[in-house]
Amino acid sequence: MSARRASAALHGVSGDVAGAVRLTLGRRDSAAVVVAVTIGYLLAYLWATGDLSLRTGIDPGVLVIDDPLARLFVRTGPTSFGAIATVDTGVIRLLLSPVNVAIGTAVAGLVGINLGVTYLAIRRPEACGIGAGSGPLASVPALLSGTVCCGPVVLLAVGVQATAVVLTAFVWLLPVGIALLLASLVYVATKVDPRRPSSSGGD
Amino acid sequence: MVPIDRRAFLGTFGAGISALSGCLGDSNADAEPDPAGDGSDGGSGSAAGGPPTVERSLPAAYTADELEEASRSGGPPPDGIPAIEDPQFAEATDPPASLDDGDPVFGVVLDGEAKAYPQSVLVWHEIVNDVIGGTPVSVTYCPLTGTAQGFHRGGTTFGVLGRLINANLVMFDRATERWWPQMLATRITGDDPGDHLAEFQVVWTTWERWRSVHSETVVLTEDTGFARNYGTDPYGGYNPRSGYYASDGFLFPPLAEDDRITPKTVVVGMRSANGAVAVRKETLREERLVEFDVGGVRHAAVYDESLDTGYVYRVGSGGESGNGSEGSDGADAEAATLSWGDGDVAVDGDVHAPDSLPFEREIAFDAMWFAWYGYYPMTDLHQ
Repeated sequence: MSARRASAALHGVSGDVAGAVRLTLGRRDSAAVVVAVTIGYLLAYLWATGDLSLRTGIDPGVLVIDDPLARLFVRTGPTSFGAIATVDTGVIRLLLSPVNVAIGTAVAGLVGINLGVTYLAIRRPEACGIGAGSGPLASVPALLSGTVCCGPVVLLAVGVQATAVVLTAFVWLLPVGIALLLASLVYVATKVDPRRPSSSGGD
Repeated sequence: MVPIDRRAFLGTFGAGISALSGCLGDSNADAEPDPAGDGSDGGSGSAAGGPPTVERSLPAAYTADELEEASRSGGPPPDGIPAIEDPQFAEATDPPASLDDGDPVFGVVLDGEAKAYPQSVLVWHEIVNDVIGGTPVSVTYCPLTGTAQGFHRGGTTFGVLGRLINANLVMFDRATERWWPQMLATRITGDDPGDHLAEFQVVWTTWERWRSVHSETVVLTEDTGFARNYGTDPYGGYNPRSGYYASDGFLFPPLAEDDRITPKTVVVGMRSANGAVAVRKETLREERLVEFDVGGVRHAAVYDESLDTGYVYRVGSGGESGNGSEGSDGADAEAATLSWGDGDVAVDGDVHAPDSLPFEREIAFDAMWFAWYGYYPMTDLHQ
């Protein structure tokens, strides 16, 4: 009986999330928020991992390493993987690690959806009473996790030594960040009622 | 300082200064350092498939178990920081585009072959498994302790373990997967630990200075087989000094602390059977010639202004060289008078270049003070 209730609750939550996501992506303004935040967060994530940097004075070009498939899944940190190519634009250098990009895109997408739904909630105050901070706050752990690529140098900036506890915490930042983002999405989605008419927006 | 043998060492916990001696296989206790003065001590034995080891004694403040317990993850997994296995070199006239004259390089001369390894490349790899003058070697660099050291590797290669002791790189040899902390050059895991790697001198200097002295040198390129952001340094910079290298903060705590000089002050460190000594590099620059006793044996640190580096000689007789050799047949060491003049050193009136005094030259290398003291708290300091 309780299992059936749990299943029904889960089904209800899934429906809320799916409905909120559909609603968010179905409106031009909230969809724009999702896309902008996703791209922005992905860039920030790649910068934090060290895969993206400003490099001027270098001719544009792409350099692929020998045997890239062999390096594709080689870990360079708890949640970062080896780059297989260098992409120079003359201003920006991207160390292309497909796995890092995939992880970053997944996290960025979650952040984007979170903020898109939150945007809707704020734009439609009659639908809920939540603040806008839950999504961004949940995104911080995942962003921090990227800094473990080649030594937790970020700790030096904040004056913290890399103790065993801190390093262990770093290992869990990405999964914790993703869990927080999912929880945040569920929370916000359940506050949004897609059946209510929109008061404004581009739909 | 009383050197004792390895078994006695292993039975002694936390006891000040011990000495390690050890050499597996067919050791050659009479192995002499390279008389050419390149500081190489060659290899004299090895574990099955492991790197060559030498019969030598070094000061030790910690047991192997204590060191292993003190190790901590640095973030990356084993080989997460990949060693360079197939290094490519360019002529001095065609260096990597990102290498400026004032950038640090690690210079090596073995059997007449000169090579330069840019710090900006090694900061991403920490180990280069190379062959110099026909000899398989590993040139290693730890960014967090500012130490560049060279080791003979025999038929195996070294990798970056991803763990740190005293904030220092821990290497593993791929034949036995045993741990070798870089600065200690000593095996700390596996049965009967305490073997010492065969070392050779690595010079920390600048690209401009190195190629001026060694015009025939080649230089490691960025064609490493890996995609990395060469030309940048995740920890800061040396030209000019910035970030981690300029701050007093630690990323990983040292084994022991001392506040006589600031933690990142560069010292020229030397350890041998006679003990350990550190000379503040800036002091050596100013005084050019610093004489001192280590374990009651006369030594001298000499500044080489052409490379902005320091060498340490065992001037007096007695004791065993850190290179694993006995004594010196050079000048009348006890009574020799040393004086500095015009870039050279006069020994009893005879002029010698700073890198070729007629005494036993010990392996010495630049290190951040906190790291040197952390491993060798019994060290003498000349500040």
